[in-house]
Amino acid sequence: MFESFPEVCRSFGIDADVRSLLLMRRAMDKQLVNTVGDMYALFKGSLVKDPTHVGPFTQAFYHYFIGVDVQPGERLSDAIQRSQTFQDWLDDFIKADEERVNMNMDDVIEKFLDEVHTTTYDIKKVLDGEKILAEDDPEMKDRGAGDANAQQANADRLLDKAADYRFVDLEELRRRMEKVMEQQSEKHSGGSHWIGTGGTSPYGHGGAALGGIRVGGSGGGKMARQVFDDPQYYPVDVDANINDDNIDATLASLKGVLEETNDMFLDIPLTVKTGVKQGGLFLPIELEKTNDKLQVILLIDNGGYSMDYFIRPVQALFKKMKTRYAHDLETYYFHNTIYKYVYDDERRTNPIPIERILNKDPNYRVFIIGDASMAPYELHEGSVIAWGRFSEKFKKICWLNPVAEKHWAITFTTTILKRIIPMYSMTPRGIEKAIREMNQKKNKI
Amino acid sequence: MAETTFWTGSDKYLCDRELAQAFHMSRVLGMPLLIEGEPGTGKTELPLQYSKDLNLDLHVYPVGSKSTVDQFVAKFDHVKYLRDSQIEVLNAQREEKGLETKLSTGGRSTEILDDYVMLGPASKAYSSKNSVLLIDEIDKAPREFPNDLLYALSHRKFVMPESGKVIEVSEEDMPAIVITSNREQELPTAFKGRCIYHYITFPSSDVMRQIVDKHYPNTDDEVVQRSIDIFYQLRQLGLERAPSTRELLNWLKYLKTFSKKETIKKIEELDGLGALVKTQDDVKRVKRNMDTQSGGSGGNKRFYQ
Repeated sequence: MFESFPEVCRSFGIDADVRSLLLMRRAMDKQLVNTVGDMYALFKGSLVKDPTHVGPFTQAFYHYFIGVDVQPGERLSDAIQRSQTFQDWLDDFIKADEERVNMNMDDVIEKFLDEVHTTTYDIKKVLDGEKILAEDDPEMKDRGAGDANAQQANADRLLDKAADYRFVDLEELRRRMEKVMEQQSEKHSGGSHWIGTGGTSPYGHGGAALGGIRVGGSGGGKMARQVFDDPQYYPVDVDANINDDNIDATLASLKGVLEETNDMFLDIPLTVKTGVKQGGLFLPIELEKTNDKLQVILLIDNGGYSMDYFIRPVQALFKKMKTRYAHDLETYYFHNTIYKYVYDDERRTNPIPIERILNKDPNYRVFIIGDASMAPYELHEGSVIAWGRFSEKFKKICWLNPVAEKHWAITFTTTILKRIIPMYSMTPRGIEKAIREMNQKKNKI
Repeated sequence: MAETTFWTGSDKYLCDRELAQAFHMSRVLGMPLLIEGEPGTGKTELPLQYSKDLNLDLHVYPVGSKSTVDQFVAKFDHVKYLRDSQIEVLNAQREEKGLETKLSTGGRSTEILDDYVMLGPASKAYSSKNSVLLIDEIDKAPREFPNDLLYALSHRKFVMPESGKVIEVSEEDMPAIVITSNREQELPTAFKGRCIYHYITFPSSDVMRQIVDKHYPNTDDEVVQRSIDIFYQLRQLGLERAPSTRELLNWLKYLKTFSKKETIKKIEELDGLGALVKTQDDVKRVKRNMDTQSGGSGGNKRFYQ
């Protein structure tokens, strides 16, 4: 059941696969899942691995199970009011008591969500829903009733093995899911919106919901509602230049620079020495491998107005990085490109010869931040040589460019510099990539 | 059968429904519960209070930057083993010399390797039923640590070093495992995939009242309300390190030592700000806000109007 749900999830940017379905089966076996709210909670627990995924996941869930499509930027209550599911429900709701027409829409929606989330169903009904879907689909129909039995048997087999993923025939499941995907692209029948399917919708309280739900209770409708309107549950744009909103995401991608290890190594000289002193009793002496000191040089182009906008977030970022990891961070400034000097103050009054930087430990990581665009004559031979010396000396070097990557090719100087120093865009994604490639360069001893 | 009742918190711990449900699911399914959330929202408290409330064995493994799976599962004590084997040699020599007394190995025998396996919290939890295992702040661990745990989590068994003994637990008897993380580093996807994930949302002010009531049941209503109001105002200032539940409770603990009238005055003056705001920049920012809020009304520095 719900074979197409992982696919729907992926279209919302949630990493979902067959394992979540197997887990759902297991949970159903254990009577954990009694209401739609429980399903929401269980899928959430198994699929969402980051608070910023809660929003997209909730959208996917509402789209798939309740037939509520939330358009970007739309509030949940508006989307609900638009949906057919709600309209059908509302008709019934008002029919039951005419007075309800005058109710506040917010309250009505709350009621709707509560009911949806505490809607009970039993698995049989869901399987019926699947049958409806199967009948809808011409391809499955062709395979005939005999095959349906085989499918059922197959599902049972999966149920048995669900506890242990190793034995599940992943190929088979993948095939099935792909098929469902094809169906989806052919006609948007909406998978198994079994709540929405007319006639069979098992709304309201009854069964487990009335008899005290074992799990869930309120069903989490209120929570889902909060989630929709709160930006903290949506992913930040990792392709945007770093700014105040995604600075934490950027910091997270910078974390990769910290090399940690808990390796021990055998100190042979010390072992021999103490062993001899102990009259031939050799006890191995292990020492902790000392962590590589993290050393960073930051070269910032703060000349000209073109960079002004970016400098503050960059400095905030590296300041946070410094306090977080407490290490060696040196910042220097230059204008457009370097020749013989860089400056250690923002106003560029205190020149430092580049030799002084080039004499530092080659294991420093060097981040150059600049737009790399200037008049071609500025980037003359001397400057190119200077950059070459940097990239020669420091293997862990990268250029972070706030200009969008697609524009790099237009600027002549950018193309030149890009060839000397690996260049990345100044976005959380770009920085992550830079760090990853930096980490592949071994330290010089 | 493992303990799988639906636990909704105790008189000291307010467990919101979402968390209770996630915790319940994880126990029934025999999967670890991975909790993330702002610091001070009671991530670590959950297993502590749960084990206390139901009187279950609790095994805690605080993760640090030097944590290894050996410490977590079991270690073979080579030094002790070496010492005991030396003692055996010595004893043999003593016997030769006709000495009666023998040196003791503390009941251990070098023949039985299991005697030298020191169990870590994980093995202890796996070998006792209905226990609770807390892996605290897993994000502080070296990067390979969570990956090394994968096998144990998905196969529910540990192999003891050297002795080769296997500690195994069935899905039903799986201890309740709670893993907390402050998101200081991303955990590997494969690891997260084996956990039920829950992100603790910051409590709303109503819930916060209930939490305060649980901790300090006899505090004056007005005091609680006012301090909570200020607390949420502070959180909205966009401080670098926004105060969390823990800070509020600490502040209230301090305020409780005064009479009601004094307390309210102290709340208005933000006395004991250090309990709430932890960095110099933040203190400055709060002070600045206090000044603008009072609107120059004769130096009457009131934050809360």
